[in-house]
Amino acid sequence: MGNGNRRKFLIASIGGIATAAAAVLLYPVYNYLAPRREADNGAKVSFPESEVPPGGAKFFQFRGETGVIVRKREGELIALSAVCTHLGCIVQWQSDKQDFLCPCHAGRYTAEGKVISGPPPRALSRLPFAASNGTITVG
Amino acid sequence: MKLLSNVVDWLEVRLGINELVENYLTGYLLPRNINFWYSMGSILITIFAVQVITGALLLVYYLPEADKAFASVTDIMNRVPFGWLIRTCHAVGSSMMVLFLLFHLLSVLFMGSYKSPRELNWLTGFILFTLVQGFCLTGYLLPWSQLSFWATTVATNSVGAIPYVGQFLVEFLRGGKLVSPATLGRFYTLHIAVLPILLVSIVGAHFFFLERIGVSTPPFGTGESKNRWQGDSFRYEGHPGGIPFFPNYLLQDMTSIAIYFAFFFAMIFFFPAIFFPKDAFIQANPFLTPAHIKPEWYFLANYQTLKLFPNEFIGLSIQGAAMTFLALLPFIDRGKEKHPLKRPLFLACAVGGIILYIGLSIWGHYS
Repeated sequence: MGNGNRRKFLIASIGGIATAAAAVLLYPVYNYLAPRREADNGAKVSFPESEVPPGGAKFFQFRGETGVIVRKREGELIALSAVCTHLGCIVQWQSDKQDFLCPCHAGRYTAEGKVISGPPPRALSRLPFAASNGTITVG
Repeated sequence: MKLLSNVVDWLEVRLGINELVENYLTGYLLPRNINFWYSMGSILITIFAVQVITGALLLVYYLPEADKAFASVTDIMNRVPFGWLIRTCHAVGSSMMVLFLLFHLLSVLFMGSYKSPRELNWLTGFILFTLVQGFCLTGYLLPWSQLSFWATTVATNSVGAIPYVGQFLVEFLRGGKLVSPATLGRFYTLHIAVLPILLVSIVGAHFFFLERIGVSTPPFGTGESKNRWQGDSFRYEGHPGGIPFFPNYLLQDMTSIAIYFAFFFAMIFFFPAIFFPKDAFIQANPFLTPAHIKPEWYFLANYQTLKLFPNEFIGLSIQGAAMTFLALLPFIDRGKEKHPLKRPLFLACAVGGIILYIGLSIWGHYS
């Protein structure tokens, strides 16, 4: 084996070991820094129905994001994600107008989450929920 | 390879890197009789880098408030993926830093490299030693465990023995009469901001002095082991016909660093319990001092010395005098001889000092 071949083999071997060593070091650091899955990822959120009066809304944390439950004046309950689909701000419930306003760029949504005006590209996504025995359970 | 040589050419016409490589790497000659002790400095730089990286990672999850600190460290150890590894690396690394600093100090002592014209190197090295002790003291409090709280209480209490200003200094250091959340704030700031800035600056000065005067010649393996410095003018100590730093001594540095990592990871994976006594896993309780609180191994000799003297001020003064003597050694020991076996007085004092330090540490552990 000539010197040139030995040198290439050595450089390739050292390069391979260095890459493996780097991977062994980076793997725990990556896992350390990666966002943790919340322990309550599958958890449901419950609260009394009385906390959502007619024409009112209640905001809550749900699986790492903010949700909102609205009771229309007629009594119908709707559970939505409160995260504006434009750039992620949290929408505000306007009880006088019975719609949602995003304070960041003035996007507006109906009580059902459909876009009325402004830059949001999509409706607010619906959340699954059930109401029974005076308790609302989201999830 | 064509890409690499294109990049080198691009940098050469903008930075003159070939000259830099010649001056600081391939053309930087070291004495032919250089030994592995000269790589202790590189190991220390590596340890410091590991401490900075693991420290920065710990900052992501650590909460520097008294009522949250312990829980956040417990979270890091038990819930954050590989948090136990990052935290253990940082804790073990702090002890390694002190251990290898002692090796570096001893090798410089025994080979007489502190002698003229390298007094400034010795002085900056001594300052670095003090700064590292500061790092250890401030970092120890941050987990806010019983061990942290009470070891800091004992350590900061000793300052009170200084006449007139002692009590004021203790309260200033603690931010109050007792160790409290105020102490945590101060020690946290010192540990992550003030001390790192100081350390990096002094390390820079330490390197500059080394670069400027040249690497010392070990007194072994040559006929002449006396210091040849005349003191009449500045003279760079070159080593014509010596060994190039790159790649020859860099290989020694990397070998030493690899051996260090083997030792370091062996401690982390097989003997982590040495660094975490049971009081390290109990949250700080300001109303309950645990029995047998001891400082970390590198402070045991200081702790035992304070216990030996009935008057705390005398105990502190003796330690202060010993440290001052060590700091001023290049100005006290002006002998030309560098070989340790040809300096009987130095050898007796050095070996005696080491035995005293180890003896006091063991006594401190068992007392």
